[in-house]
Amino acid sequence: MSRGRAWGWAAALREGSTTRWQEWPADGTGEGDAFRDDLPGAQQLGLLRRLNVAAEGAGRRVPLATADRVLAAGVSGRGRSDLPLIGADEPGRFGARPVDPDALPDDELLRVASALIADDVASTAHDPEERTLVERALGVRRPWVRAFRVVGVQWQAEYARQGLIAQGHRPGGRRPTAYLLADDLATVLAHAWTARSFDQGGTTWGEFLGSSSAFGHLPPRADLARMARSASHKYGAARVTIVLDRAALATELGVRRLQAPPVLGAHAVDLVRRVGEPLGLLVDEADRPRLLRESLGRRLDGLGGPALTVPRPREAWLSAQAERTRHELAAAGYPVLGDLDRLVPGPLPAEPVVPVDAEVLTLALGLLLDPVTATTQEDPTR
Amino acid sequence: MSKRILLHVGTPKTGTSYLQDVLFQNRSRLLRQGILYPADRFDAHFLAALDLMRLRWGGLERQAVGAWDRLAQQVRDHDGTAIISHEILATASRTQVQRALKSLGHEPGGGGAEVHVIVSVRDLARQIPAEWQENVKHRASFRYGRFLNLIRDPERSHRVGAWFWGAQEIPDILARWGATIPPERIHIVTVPRPGGPREELWRRFSEAFGLDDLGLDLGTERANPSLGVPESSLLRRINKAAARDISPAHYRPLVRELLAHQVLSKRTQSPRLSLPPSDYPWVAELTESWIAELTERGYDVVGDLADLRGDEPVAQGWADPDKPVERQVNMAALDAIRALLLESAERQAEADRLRSKLEDARRELIRARTPRLMRTMEWTVRRLEGSDRGRQALGAYRKVRGRNSLSA
Repeated sequence: MSRGRAWGWAAALREGSTTRWQEWPADGTGEGDAFRDDLPGAQQLGLLRRLNVAAEGAGRRVPLATADRVLAAGVSGRGRSDLPLIGADEPGRFGARPVDPDALPDDELLRVASALIADDVASTAHDPEERTLVERALGVRRPWVRAFRVVGVQWQAEYARQGLIAQGHRPGGRRPTAYLLADDLATVLAHAWTARSFDQGGTTWGEFLGSSSAFGHLPPRADLARMARSASHKYGAARVTIVLDRAALATELGVRRLQAPPVLGAHAVDLVRRVGEPLGLLVDEADRPRLLRESLGRRLDGLGGPALTVPRPREAWLSAQAERTRHELAAAGYPVLGDLDRLVPGPLPAEPVVPVDAEVLTLALGLLLDPVTATTQEDPTR
Repeated sequence: MSKRILLHVGTPKTGTSYLQDVLFQNRSRLLRQGILYPADRFDAHFLAALDLMRLRWGGLERQAVGAWDRLAQQVRDHDGTAIISHEILATASRTQVQRALKSLGHEPGGGGAEVHVIVSVRDLARQIPAEWQENVKHRASFRYGRFLNLIRDPERSHRVGAWFWGAQEIPDILARWGATIPPERIHIVTVPRPGGPREELWRRFSEAFGLDDLGLDLGTERANPSLGVPESSLLRRINKAAARDISPAHYRPLVRELLAHQVLSKRTQSPRLSLPPSDYPWVAELTESWIAELTERGYDVVGDLADLRGDEPVAQGWADPDKPVERQVNMAALDAIRALLLESAERQAEADRLRSKLEDARRELIRARTPRLMRTMEWTVRRLEGSDRGRQALGAYRKVRGRNSLSA
């Protein structure tokens, strides 16, 4: 047992070492002095080593300031607190057992990484910029633009609305037509969980599907029939149009195309979900989704592996719900742009695409190396 | 800066709700005597603890942004004694403890504010079942047996085990919170053994916090009532069947407050939840190791560490919440259904009343927006329809217009 050896390893990690704790010299040559009040927890030490490995792979070094941030970070969410490093001290009779940082599951390292990324995202908060005259002019509803609203799958609708406003088509007006953006139900579910991850965080993809399928219904954010009913109460049944062909809607509204949301892979969405949790305690509830969209939404666009898919064991529930949705929308007689058959997903892949902690951690390490706050490239030589 | 800070950091289920309510209700009186309990709402210190530890809590954490720093600022600004109390602070990590103490003006080498750490403790034989029940009142659907297995996992790798020991392992809690505080400023308040005088716990709290002779109003009602075995089983089953469908904002008033606290906890004749007799030996052994450690550390004890030796559960007739008597569960379920029906009827009546008010308001709005000419015409038509001559005149008018609708 040597606390000096632990401090020596921590100091080496701070300087960019990638040596594992079990391989760190125990013959006295690897000892060092304390450089802060308390020895960092095993999660923080393990994360810093993994960060050094990632940086080394990219031909870089972790900036000292970043290394110190990692060592001083807290562990977010419920679960084990800072864990003692095995072999650093005599095991205490009380408290959590000491652990080898390299034997910790990726999920433990992600708890630290998420807290750090949340700090970065929170620091990007700023007062909304005053709109320029041109932006204000574009934002004014034009009398000759038809009255409309965009509702439906939130993840798509929000970006579509933003794009339309940018093109001078502000939703609203008297007696508007409500265009309900829809898609095949597997995609709708993935988008519903994505929107939830940005808004609330918390529930995992598996829990999100499981909680609904166990009781044979759809999550509210993915229940298109319910959304259509709600829109028909608000705008009148004759003025609700189901949109399964976005190009047709663009033509109908007189724009070139509808703005699409960023394309986030399964692992990217899961990282957003994890970061959203500690971020919820750093910024106002109303600001959280916007900050996440403006920071992680942009940075992770096109990253994080393939898009989420629904695992095969849920296929029966999924197709039953898709059929129900199609039947209810058809029975209600809403006008449709496109084909209602598109609501029914095709065969599900044999190997589902779901978030994997190791992949999520890789993304997180990238965001620690190049934080969302960075405006200029760090000097790789420090 | 506060000269003296009393930091009560746990543990849950030791009468903390009552203490906090007394402090909150008497905060003006306390302040007049130089003692600050900085809270503008009863759960202010809970929110501050969530903020300090970055904990999600069913959406409540959204109201906690910046709460710890605000609390610490008030404490620093006060010249006198300040009290902070919340039981979930027991789970704070060393890093979080350091941040908390620093923000309160504590200096590890001496100087700074005089911080006293107070922890109230109860025997594990009562804490273990109480903690499972608390989980069930917070949407959990795992069985009692599963809970016991999770807390006996030496790795504490599951969040339930990690949380339980984080909030209950007294030597570890005090090692984290007391690392830089002299032992004479660490105070353990023990909860009296079952059957002791009801006022004894308050007497001990009062002594530890220096609240004697301050003339506090102790007549508060807030408590954290416990459930019996069939009621706990019922609640667990309700969670399993429905908790996922109910948002935290609705779960809290409907399930936790209405069902658990207002209805099921009133059923006091049902078998009480207790430690399985087979688990008592390891609990007793663990307790002895705690008592030895705490004695050795030389902390101030208000009460008696022997109180931590809980009563051995009676094996004969022990009620297992995983295998409850179904008739008892059914009776509890009937009470629950009745309460929900009454609540539903009450809400329906309120909704009807509001709908009627809304309709009146809508009519008023239409009337306010209808031009005076139109209102005059409507008034005229109503007057004419009230007499024979009038109706004849109206008939003639409608005939001339060629219409017989009421729109005239």
